[in-house]
Amino acid sequence: MAASDGEKNHETGKLHFSLDVPFPSSREAVIALRSLSPDREPRKGGISKQLTVSGSTLSVRWSADEARILRVSVNSFLDHLSLVLETMEMFGPPVSQ
Amino acid sequence: MAAASSLANQCCHLGQGQWSCVHCTLLFSFLKTFSATMTVVIGFEGSANKIGVGIIRDGEVLSNPRRTYITPPGQGFMPSDTARHHRAVILTVLKEALEQAGLKPADIDCVAYTKGPGMGAPLVTVALVARTVAQLWGKPLLGVNHCIGHIEMGRLITKANNPTVLYVSGGNTQVIAYSERRYRIFGETIDIAVGNCLDRFARVIKISNDPSPGYNIEQMAKKGSQYVELPYTVKGMDVSFSGILSYIEEAAHKMLSSDQCTAEDLCFSLQETVFSMLVEITERAMAHCGSQEVLIVGGVGCNLRLQEMMGVMCKERGAKLFATDERFCIDNGAMIAQAGWEMFKSGQVTELEDSWITQRYRTDEVEVTWRD
Repeated sequence: MAASDGEKNHETGKLHFSLDVPFPSSREAVIALRSLSPDREPRKGGISKQLTVSGSTLSVRWSADEARILRVSVNSFLDHLSLVLETMEMFGPPVSQ
Repeated sequence: MAAASSLANQCCHLGQGQWSCVHCTLLFSFLKTFSATMTVVIGFEGSANKIGVGIIRDGEVLSNPRRTYITPPGQGFMPSDTARHHRAVILTVLKEALEQAGLKPADIDCVAYTKGPGMGAPLVTVALVARTVAQLWGKPLLGVNHCIGHIEMGRLITKANNPTVLYVSGGNTQVIAYSERRYRIFGETIDIAVGNCLDRFARVIKISNDPSPGYNIEQMAKKGSQYVELPYTVKGMDVSFSGILSYIEEAAHKMLSSDQCTAEDLCFSLQETVFSMLVEITERAMAHCGSQEVLIVGGVGCNLRLQEMMGVMCKERGAKLFATDERFCIDNGAMIAQAGWEMFKSGQVTELEDSWITQRYRTDEVEVTWRD
């Protein structure tokens, strides 16, 4: 798992944060993406989050107005991610398609 | 297979332990096909402080384990702490549900979960696991309205056909009747739920939350002897509980410290008042719909005093009362499985991208595709 800090982009004035999560295969990375994507951020504005999969890596990129809002979103994402990972560990691997 | 052996006993060899005749071969192959067409749905519920996973196979509850997040006396349950509780136990509960049912993931046909209404963080927790296992196991997903889950579970357990439903819990208070593909809300609370009123009263006088504040109020109320008059707030088809709560919050400590009444008297008086209100609006809905059946669902529905009062009203009207016990009244996984089973059988599924949870989701938003 690799994360870059919430460094401020001077052009937009926004904070950015990105996270890469390796998976055993792209299949599992896509399952995690589809489990973690449907729910919108509870807060209406001030934060956006983009999830993508490339190969067997799930990448998340945040963009936020304030560090406080960013922290809450990243924290809850990590809670959600670890639950998905635990679920995969206990009830995986995925059946063959 | 019990059916198979009893039928086979009437077959040509009369139970001599030979199972190779053409009749039995045909019978077994028929039963095999038949059991393959049975539909198994697993349901995940966690919209409030209970987390449950239940498995239903064609109306039969195969398993229904549950855990409750219990807070210290005087404290309610907050969304983030409740979600943390659910995250810590959900996979254990899921494992238990499969083990108790004696099923493997491959035996399941559909994964149902609570889409809403409820607390956001706990709902997300449960949805995440449901989405993940649905994908791991290659099964369709189905988002269920929590209130519909209560109604369908009540109908399954009690066999009530077309009842007027009183749905009473910590988060909801509604009088519901089915008409034209919707469960229509005839009356409801205009502020807080009846269970919320009881729970918060329990916090004021520090009644234990174990196993639930409502259960402990019910036990204390049995020892109450003096009726303390409280506001009675029925507004047409609707009810209001927030004023009653403010009144009793204000009065409780004064009355208790001056020995005007006991905590048991307050429990008794509060129950009598709020349950009378509920019986009144239920009776009004029955009169309106010409209904002769009442079904009580939701956590407050396992209160025996409420069932008794409703029973008196039903008897006077020549109507029938249906209620269930705490296994099915209180939030559980099987109720989501059962509503999911009905929805799945009528052809519904929820695509992953549409599987977002929602804190607000009214009972009458759902099109009931499984009833005439």
